[in-house]
Amino acid sequence: MDKRWTNRIALGVLWLCGITTVTILGAVILYVFVRGVGQITPEFIFTKPHGVNAEGGIGPTIIATMYVTGLSMLIVTPIAVLAAVYLAEYAVQGKLVDAIRFAADTLASVPSIVMGLFGFALFVEVMGLGFSVLSGALALSFLMLPIVMRATEEAIRAVPKYIRWGSYGLGASKWQTVSRIVLPSALPRILTGIILAMGRAVGETAVVIFTMGQAVYLPISPLDSGRSMTVHLYMLAMEGINMDAAYGTALLLMVMVLFFNLSARWLAARNRRLQG
Amino acid sequence: MSGSTTLLPIAEVAGEMYGESHPGVSILVSGMGSSAGIESVSTGSSDIGTSSRELKEAEYELGLADTPVAYDAIAVIVHPDNPVRELTTLEIRSIFAGVITNWSELGGPDLEIGLVNRDEASGTREAFSKIVMGDARFDLGAVILPGTGQVRAVVSDIPGAVGYISLGFVNDDVRAVAVDGIEPSEAAVVAGDYPIQRVLHFFTHGEVSESTVAYIEYVLSPAVQDSVVRDAGFIPITAKEVHGG
Amino acid sequence: MAEPLETKRAPEAGAARTLKMMSRATYIQEALLKNLFLTCAIAAVAGVALIFFFVGFRGWPVIEDPGLAAFLFGSEWSSTLGKFGIGPLVTGTLVVTIGALVFGAPLAIGTAIFLSEIATPTVRGIVRPAVELLAGVPSVVFGFFGLVIVRPFVAELTGSMGFGPLTASLILAVMIVPTIATLTEDALRSVPPGIREASYAMGATTWQTIYKVLVPAAKIGIFDAIILGMGRAIGETMAVVMVAGNAPQFFEGLGAPIATITSQIVIDMSYASGTHRTALFGLAIILFIISMGLVAIVRALSRLNAKRS
Repeated sequence: MDKRWTNRIALGVLWLCGITTVTILGAVILYVFVRGVGQITPEFIFTKPHGVNAEGGIGPTIIATMYVTGLSMLIVTPIAVLAAVYLAEYAVQGKLVDAIRFAADTLASVPSIVMGLFGFALFVEVMGLGFSVLSGALALSFLMLPIVMRATEEAIRAVPKYIRWGSYGLGASKWQTVSRIVLPSALPRILTGIILAMGRAVGETAVVIFTMGQAVYLPISPLDSGRSMTVHLYMLAMEGINMDAAYGTALLLMVMVLFFNLSARWLAARNRRLQG
Repeated sequence: MSGSTTLLPIAEVAGEMYGESHPGVSILVSGMGSSAGIESVSTGSSDIGTSSRELKEAEYELGLADTPVAYDAIAVIVHPDNPVRELTTLEIRSIFAGVITNWSELGGPDLEIGLVNRDEASGTREAFSKIVMGDARFDLGAVILPGTGQVRAVVSDIPGAVGYISLGFVNDDVRAVAVDGIEPSEAAVVAGDYPIQRVLHFFTHGEVSESTVAYIEYVLSPAVQDSVVRDAGFIPITAKEVHGG
Repeated sequence: MAEPLETKRAPEAGAARTLKMMSRATYIQEALLKNLFLTCAIAAVAGVALIFFFVGFRGWPVIEDPGLAAFLFGSEWSSTLGKFGIGPLVTGTLVVTIGALVFGAPLAIGTAIFLSEIATPTVRGIVRPAVELLAGVPSVVFGFFGLVIVRPFVAELTGSMGFGPLTASLILAVMIVPTIATLTEDALRSVPPGIREASYAMGATTWQTIYKVLVPAAKIGIFDAIILGMGRAIGETMAVVMVAGNAPQFFEGLGAPIATITSQIVIDMSYASGTHRTALFGLAIILFIISMGLVAIVRALSRLNAKRS
């Protein structure tokens, strides 16, 4: 066959790949939207489910989801950011750094169901925190740690060297340079990483189902149990009686996750514009 | 109160509703299984023990007071177009054990039987297994679905499928077959004729506190029987009066 | 923070060597901070160790009951019979993972090549966010979509109930596209532009340049991407549980129900106790070891890559 024809066919296939990917995303979003949008009423968002088949709203599950996500963000951010500062600014290449990176990569790829069982064994049982928002947040923070760590490290490395030299030239110490010069200029990208990690946590099911419990409570203290939106959706979809509520929950969940992802993208884009 | 996981949804939702109308009373419910429920009420660690089975002989001596609260009847469901309208308990057992694999063996069309089973945590599966399967084992190749609505949706969608769900969840999308010649109906259940059924009990022991009596009365009232019990797919115990049993 | 005057004297720009020129107080402060950061970094290592320890601690007793051989090589998983052989679950995981790669890897690699070599900036501005957003869709939503949309379609196709390897593979394929596509695109972009130009200068078409020059040059990166995508498929839980049919039997056909390591854990965990629960933690150990092994492979490969170039 003529090489031009081969070329055309091959490029056509590649175009098709790109189009397919976009179509799949569109189909998933569109489907959930069409079936779920009719469910979204103020009542659905704010009231609590009642009865055997969870009629009514999903209010407590939204609160529980935001609660556990916020709490895990508070737990993970200081640790992850400082760890990244070490890796980017202080670490000398060696066995220890190798081990840290290997551990971070492993954490990033541990299946969430394993994380869920681990959280159950450690936080729920051994530490006696029970099924609670705190157990859920601690387990989720293991999941978020590598994401925030990597984003922060990349952000710090992207800060131009000459800015640091300027700071050192003025006689600043290393910590002064890091805390007043490097971290502030890396902040937008660090925030992007944190937001992405939060989006991940909002969409996570297997971790929270074994650490936060399944009872529909409105959690007040961190030691209260709660049911996240993902767990609620899973249970509704698996039970299959009240599918309307399942579609509504799926739509709200998607909107929330997309909100996190899109704001991370927006932040990153704005940052690029400002710097470039 | 503690006991049967089958009764858990009723006990939980009724307890929550009761707590709302009677501030200051909170009802703690845990599902651990019928035997554990009977044990905990007889030792006094629970006020009410819930059970999805009758007392065993040894347990008669515990001196428990029995309050039946609902009937749990299980319907064997097939696709509405399936011409097979009636099965014997033995045939149902053979189907779910994977011995009969084609509807033609039961006088139906030449169509492979698609088995839909429940997960092992399910109270419906436990009851079905005890009443229908006996010592026979479920076919390992059955699709396992963790929810009633799922089973119903799949059976309504696939011509050769067969599954089982609580009678209260049967709707027009599927057809419930007659078992041993008895059409599954509320009347047949309260009369005790339908073979795949059981009675769900609350057990109490000795002197019972006032609030416990009030709660049990509440569960037996129409407010719970006609809403919560029916929503959970069971048949109210009060239906007995309606059908003159 | 009042700084002693001495620090202001630090002369040479930039280097940490200037620490020597600092006052004692500053020096101690810097050293303390450095150790604090190090402690945080070690948290990651400690995290992995904790997971391994606690999951291992709960799963370890499988060695005695049901026994290591019965666990690893048993061909039956049935809690009612007290048999916990992982054979059917491992094959189930293997089948859906291979299926996911067969459908997902070509699509993902194709999308990545499209993004890095063909798409105009405007088109890329649409496709790239789509790939990233796909990664953000919660797995229960994918499972839900698979259950109500893909399953009936597969049922029609295979003449079965539609639960099983085919449906699970298709859903997983979509879920691993973002992982593989993003990493493959990175690998392609790291190929120096000079190589492309040389190829075009010799009269090669775009496609010839792609498959004779770029893909071979980026092959280790692409391989990495596939392995990480594989890890994602092996570990995915919620979506699989909703569409696999969850029957712990060996592969019986594309439309026959099947269970995976992850789906069995979710199905059983709610009521398991005793040996059964131990066996579930045993499954988690296996998943953990697999994912750690895949990461080790990827790291070894990238080291190899670094050495070569």
